[in-house]
Amino acid sequence: MFGSFRTSRDAAPGHRREPRLDGHFADDGRTARRHAARRAGSERGETEEMRREAPPSSGPTRADGVFRQAIETGRTRLLITGAVMALAFVAVSGRLVDVAAIADPHEPRQLTAVRAQEVETERAAIVDRNGVLLATSLGTVSLSANPHKLLDPVEAAQKIATVLPELDPERLASRLSKETGFVWIHRNLTPRQQERVNRLGIPGVEFHKRESRVYPQGRLLSHVLGYTDVDNKGISGLEKSFDERLRARDEPLRLSIDVRMQHVLHEELQGAIDQFSAIGGAGVVLDVKTGEVAALVSLPDFDPNHPTADPQETRFNRATLGVYELGSTFKIFNTAMALDAGTVSMAGGYDASKPLRVANYTINDFHAENRWLSVPEIFIHSSNIGSAKMALEVGPAGQKAFMQRMGFLDRLDLEVGETGTPQYPDIWRPINTMTISFGHGLSVTPLHLASGVASMLNGGTRVSPTLLKRDAAPVGARVVSPDVSTAVRKLMRLNTIDPEGSGGNANVPGYVVGGKTGTAEKIGASGTYARKALISSFVAAFPMTDPRYVVYAVLDEPKGTKETLNYATGGWVAAPMVGRVIERIAPIAGITPVDPQDPSVRLALAIQPPMQEQKHLASFETRMASAIQTD
Amino acid sequence: MRVRHGELRAPELTLGQKFWQVNWGLLLLVSACAGVGLAMLFSAANGDWDPWASRHAVRFGMGVGIMLLVALIDIRLWMRYAYLIYTIALLLLLAVEVAGTIGMGAQRWIDLKFFQLQPSEVMKIALVLALARYFHTLNFEDIGRVGYLLTPALMVAAPVILILRQPDLGTAVMLAVGSAVLFFLAGVRLWKFILVGLAAMGSVPIAWNFLHDYQKKRILTFLDPEKDPLGSGYHILQSKIAMGSGGMMGKGFIRGTQSHLNFLPEKQTDFIFTMLAEEFGLMGGLALMALYALIMVYGFGIAVRARSQFARLVGMGVTTTFSLYVFINIAMVMGVIPVVGVPLPLVSYGGTAMLTVMIGFGLLMNVYVHRDTRIGRRWSDHG
Repeated sequence: MFGSFRTSRDAAPGHRREPRLDGHFADDGRTARRHAARRAGSERGETEEMRREAPPSSGPTRADGVFRQAIETGRTRLLITGAVMALAFVAVSGRLVDVAAIADPHEPRQLTAVRAQEVETERAAIVDRNGVLLATSLGTVSLSANPHKLLDPVEAAQKIATVLPELDPERLASRLSKETGFVWIHRNLTPRQQERVNRLGIPGVEFHKRESRVYPQGRLLSHVLGYTDVDNKGISGLEKSFDERLRARDEPLRLSIDVRMQHVLHEELQGAIDQFSAIGGAGVVLDVKTGEVAALVSLPDFDPNHPTADPQETRFNRATLGVYELGSTFKIFNTAMALDAGTVSMAGGYDASKPLRVANYTINDFHAENRWLSVPEIFIHSSNIGSAKMALEVGPAGQKAFMQRMGFLDRLDLEVGETGTPQYPDIWRPINTMTISFGHGLSVTPLHLASGVASMLNGGTRVSPTLLKRDAAPVGARVVSPDVSTAVRKLMRLNTIDPEGSGGNANVPGYVVGGKTGTAEKIGASGTYARKALISSFVAAFPMTDPRYVVYAVLDEPKGTKETLNYATGGWVAAPMVGRVIERIAPIAGITPVDPQDPSVRLALAIQPPMQEQKHLASFETRMASAIQTD
Repeated sequence: MRVRHGELRAPELTLGQKFWQVNWGLLLLVSACAGVGLAMLFSAANGDWDPWASRHAVRFGMGVGIMLLVALIDIRLWMRYAYLIYTIALLLLLAVEVAGTIGMGAQRWIDLKFFQLQPSEVMKIALVLALARYFHTLNFEDIGRVGYLLTPALMVAAPVILILRQPDLGTAVMLAVGSAVLFFLAGVRLWKFILVGLAAMGSVPIAWNFLHDYQKKRILTFLDPEKDPLGSGYHILQSKIAMGSGGMMGKGFIRGTQSHLNFLPEKQTDFIFTMLAEEFGLMGGLALMALYALIMVYGFGIAVRARSQFARLVGMGVTTTFSLYVFINIAMVMGVIPVVGVPLPLVSYGGTAMLTVMIGFGLLMNVYVHRDTRIGRRWSDHG
């Protein structure tokens, strides 16, 4: 680097031996050049010679001394400046090494300390299965007055109204003038309002510390959590049923709900209600193995932070309190019942060529095939005629006993108090048996149905649903044999992959979805079935090779749209929505998609073609083959 | 004062000859630094030339042109107009005081429609020129006399006070320290520095009251950044975390999580060094500092080699200003000094700073080109 400077100095020797013409050292350039020479020289270790270098010609003068001093000072100072700059750089570099490679920087501990600070509340928090806060308590202050102690009620009322503008000063003044020792003025003051009221300095007003319940998720879990009254007492939902537990212990109440799945179900159900102009809906996501309710939605809902802001009917819980005739989804139970009773096998079938006439009733098929149907065909075509015949072979007593085992004749044993009582015929006649086989004549809650499907799929033992997190899955009573459970899995799977099945709209590639539609006509005001008012539903489970979750959605009075060709049946309005829910919750549940063409998946869910009635065999086989292809 | 009679002089250089005298090594180093800046701005925009990198490149290109222009103008012209430039800069500062644009809580800019002029930046160059000219005309004995120091002291104080009022503590400190270095190099007696230093320390409690709240907060934060980790200590804490997370070799180009996830504020301007240290680690940081150190050594060498006092002081003044930029910025992002808004020269995004730095390098280059040009002490047009 300095080589270039040496070179340039040497390249201009004329300047160096330049004669002094006036005998004075007035040449700055020379000073600088000499300095440069010395500096360069010192680097080569020639300092001493350079210092002894006498000025050319003439002896020392006063000016000469000054000049030498100037040289010395200038040189020293340049060196010092350079040295200081170098030192600063070295210091900064050292610091860089420290910060980048040695020190372990971290967020200061105070942050965690603040977060870890627990607040004592009179009512414990409620959290979801992963610890997300669903309900908590917030300390607030309420304002009261003792009219006996007030000096001037009118003046006090006017002053208070300046801080709390929502109060009418005249009405407040009249209340404060009452002959009583205690008047509530306002609840839940903000800290700022409290401070300002305090500063008014009115004698006779008092603050009361209280707590109010806050639901950070808003209306997401309104029916599950319920809400509290102004005295912080639970009056519905879990807040009511666990009122004592929440007051007794500070430890949060941990639910089985997964707030992420709850959000997905809530959003998709609301979307379907909007799309099909339904008056309401209910949805459940249930863990097949443990019976834990991962999501439970009833719409329309309310904001538990302001429960009275929404109409009264929004507080009705359709998922656990409402009982409905849920229609063809019952064919899952009917088929399982018959298979378990041994009155028919998967290879068997019934003649469904003509409508079935019993007493004054006629039982028709919605999608009439008008021929003999095998058991799987009855299932995927949702044949009422075939189902009724299947049930009749089991008989009314056997059916009632089966429904009893399933728990469909009793209220749910659930943690919330809002559970509906199933409605069933007092005298169970053959006609009841036939209608119940396809889901009419027996009303249960949507959660009943979801639990029942889980019982069918988990190997055949009764699943009792819960809203609390379970550590271990309880073993329920056996309701059907494991073989029947496997058969139900296959039937539900077939219904989503067969081109003639009703559940194709719910299939999601990779998650081996199986399902069943349900469309029931509501009983109108006159007590007869209303053709246009439907309860359309879809129940699905996935993955059918080893079911993990049941997803059930019910829409109350949906209307068909152009996209659904004006159909408002379960397969059109509920199945696509259930499919979208599965698509979104499966990753949350950590379920890995599989290749549906994988031989192990296909074999596990393949159905043997029926051996009798040879004329249908060919078509059935073709359909099975194409069904598997289309998935 | 003695009048200079005739003297043998080096022949005047033609413009073409001057051009070949330009210090290409310095230009190479400067371009390397700007290249680092380009890469980091490309990364700051998540691997996009817009909005910063492309404009940085254009500005640097224009800067090189300006630098060469400044370098080739005769050094005596610069000396002749030094006071004029200083006066214009001072008037601009006054204009800012009266009619400046307020941005980010400070009144620092003059809006020229096509360009936001920041007179405090112009003053950094103008003050170096003016002080260099003043000390050039003094002889060594005069420098010892207090009377002769009043004028330059006022020349420094006027802009420093105006800039403090904007308020821009960082630039004011840079001007004051840069000027002090020039005073020191000119040969002002050491005891005077000590005296001024003591006076400054004595006035700290008084000055404290004149500081803005945010300035006080920054100094207090500097003393204990963990005290307010989410408030005013946030910048420095995040900066340290980002650097520490880079480790020895860094996370890789455009892979700095702290900066790209916006934990690091102002990553394209004042905190760009942190981003470099995060993405290229300790080695990247040291490499850039080595580049800067080389430029400083060049500047130092050029100043030492200059024949006239004016050229030497200009060379040292520019080198010092540049070093202060680098030092203050890097020290700031590492929490060695309080947070002041000083960019990293050639690397940080910003037009005015780029212009100032390139004009500065132009002057340094000018000093190199005219290293053998002599200028008489009692200055006259004919040197």
